[in-house]
Amino acid sequence: MTEARYILEANGLHKSFGSGSAREHVLRGLDLKVRPAEFLAVMGPSGCGKSTLLHVLGLMASPDAGGVRIDGREAAELPEPARAEIRRKRIGFVFQRFNLLSMLSGYDNIRLSLRIRGLDQQAGIRPLLEAMGVAEVAGKKPGKMSIGQQQRLAVARAIAHKPDLLLADEPTGSLDSDNAAALLELLARANRQNGQTIVMITHSAEVAATAGRIVHMKDGRILDENV
Amino acid sequence: MLYLPLANLLHHKLGSAGSALGVGISVCMLITLSGLSRGSLEEVAERWEAVDADLIVYSARWGDNITTISGGELGDADVERLERLTAAGEKCVERVVPIFLYRVSIAGQEHNIVGVAPEDLPQLLGGGEIPKPGRSFDPQNKFARWLKGRLEEDRPQGEEGPPLDISDAELAEHGGLEIVIDARLARATGLKLGEKVYTAGRNFTVVGIAPRGALARAFIPRATAQWLFSGPLGRYTLMFVKLRPGVRVGAAVEAVRRTKRLASVAIDEYRGMLQQRFGIMYLYVDTVNVVTLIVAFLFILVTLYTMVIQRRREIAILRSMGASRRFILSQVVAESMLLSACGAAAGVLMSFAAAAGIEAIKPLLTVKITWDWILTAAGAAAVGATLAAVYPALCAIRVDVIEALSLE
Repeated sequence: MTEARYILEANGLHKSFGSGSAREHVLRGLDLKVRPAEFLAVMGPSGCGKSTLLHVLGLMASPDAGGVRIDGREAAELPEPARAEIRRKRIGFVFQRFNLLSMLSGYDNIRLSLRIRGLDQQAGIRPLLEAMGVAEVAGKKPGKMSIGQQQRLAVARAIAHKPDLLLADEPTGSLDSDNAAALLELLARANRQNGQTIVMITHSAEVAATAGRIVHMKDGRILDENV
Repeated sequence: MLYLPLANLLHHKLGSAGSALGVGISVCMLITLSGLSRGSLEEVAERWEAVDADLIVYSARWGDNITTISGGELGDADVERLERLTAAGEKCVERVVPIFLYRVSIAGQEHNIVGVAPEDLPQLLGGGEIPKPGRSFDPQNKFARWLKGRLEEDRPQGEEGPPLDISDAELAEHGGLEIVIDARLARATGLKLGEKVYTAGRNFTVVGIAPRGALARAFIPRATAQWLFSGPLGRYTLMFVKLRPGVRVGAAVEAVRRTKRLASVAIDEYRGMLQQRFGIMYLYVDTVNVVTLIVAFLFILVTLYTMVIQRRREIAILRSMGASRRFILSQVVAESMLLSACGAAAGVLMSFAAAAGIEAIKPLLTVKITWDWILTAAGAAAVGATLAAVYPALCAIRVDVIEALSLE
């Protein structure tokens, strides 16, 4: 069996919300292909469907039409348990609003993420936290951390299980420029050192410049590609 | 993996504490009410079983259940009949202890008072003795002889009539108004040796305090009881019979039955009679317990459901990480089980405190907390927790991930 040429493919994706006259078409026949170990930035204005695209690519939402293939295999049509398994084993998410569990410490957020993935590698947590610069605050709950610390912790959680595919939704949206630069460096390092494929949503050209490839979205479609 | 459910509970301290308290109160009610209803009856049964006898013999006219027996159906002739009783051609009775039983009020509460001959009293004390300086009433049986003489003197033999007018001073002077109470009644009433207690229309003097486990709360001379409650002497309510060694209880019961006038049961059957007569009380108590448990677990269900609704975002985060439905279900159920376990543990502790409190306030009540009921309550808590978790858990796995993640 030959290795798939693309780790991630979106073919003719359609997605809409609401019904009747209030129906809003967010994705309109979107196509996108991502190679293994690629760092891709998706840019576009607010409301163009970037986050929805990421949710569909991450198998958290089903498209109304079209398909999502991961390693050449159709994934969007799979039943929820099978999609959950792909999310569990192959995908890591970094959300704009971090989405850390507020009742757990930073350390336990990562520990839980690993546990959900069937991994009991507590030994690897501390070095990861140190690499992310949040080891000192890992015993605190997210609410007691700074915004920058929370976002670094969210990245640590997303990459702790070494996913093939990291999906990041405006990861620097809540950060000041210093923290944003540090976070982008972390992502770039994960891409360079571990060969993790990254798809990053952003509306900032400066942030997008960190990626190896940039695509633009408008009105639910990919407009062009800059390599 | 319990740290997430535990963290969730600690994160919502007030709701968690309220739910656990609800379960705790239910478990406490279950254990305490069962312990109270069954404990008091069992304490009575144990006191009857502690009598040094094998059979209880009573009038065949009384019926099948003697738990409320009183009055004077039996007479001296029945005592003699029993002493001559034979089974398989052999005399089978070693000792007969006839007693007169009556319901009286002592210190505002109803009790069985037992009239017994002084020489028979030790058979009814559950193996204990009256501690010194206390003593039995009418130790030389002088009162019984005096009363018999007094009655014969005033009324020719065989003649019936209204009770004779004997003054309290006369009764007291001859030792007829002496009473032995048990240690629990003494504790409940604060009565001490030498003090007077008013009952059956007379002032009795406490001469002895029997240890816990004696047949009744109060004992008086049999002649006093017969004269006060019956009129003629030589009348008895029932008789305790000690069989000779080697005599089968079943054979003796059959021999008693053949007399036609008398009936008998093995002494350990008294417990069954109590349960038969007061079993309906168990039904009431158990019904209240079940309703309380259901309310408690509805409370847990609402709490968990509220927690699930409040935590849709957290659940969506777990699902975005690929948490399986089984994982989410197990977390909600584990949370419910943790709540119930904390509540049940608190409930067991509360039930011991409640039992101590009840016995302190009402020393004559017995709350018997048994492992059976602790395990029953724990089992009910576990089952209730699981059932209460089902609906919130199903709601949790149906959370729309995208919608929930967009919640503030």
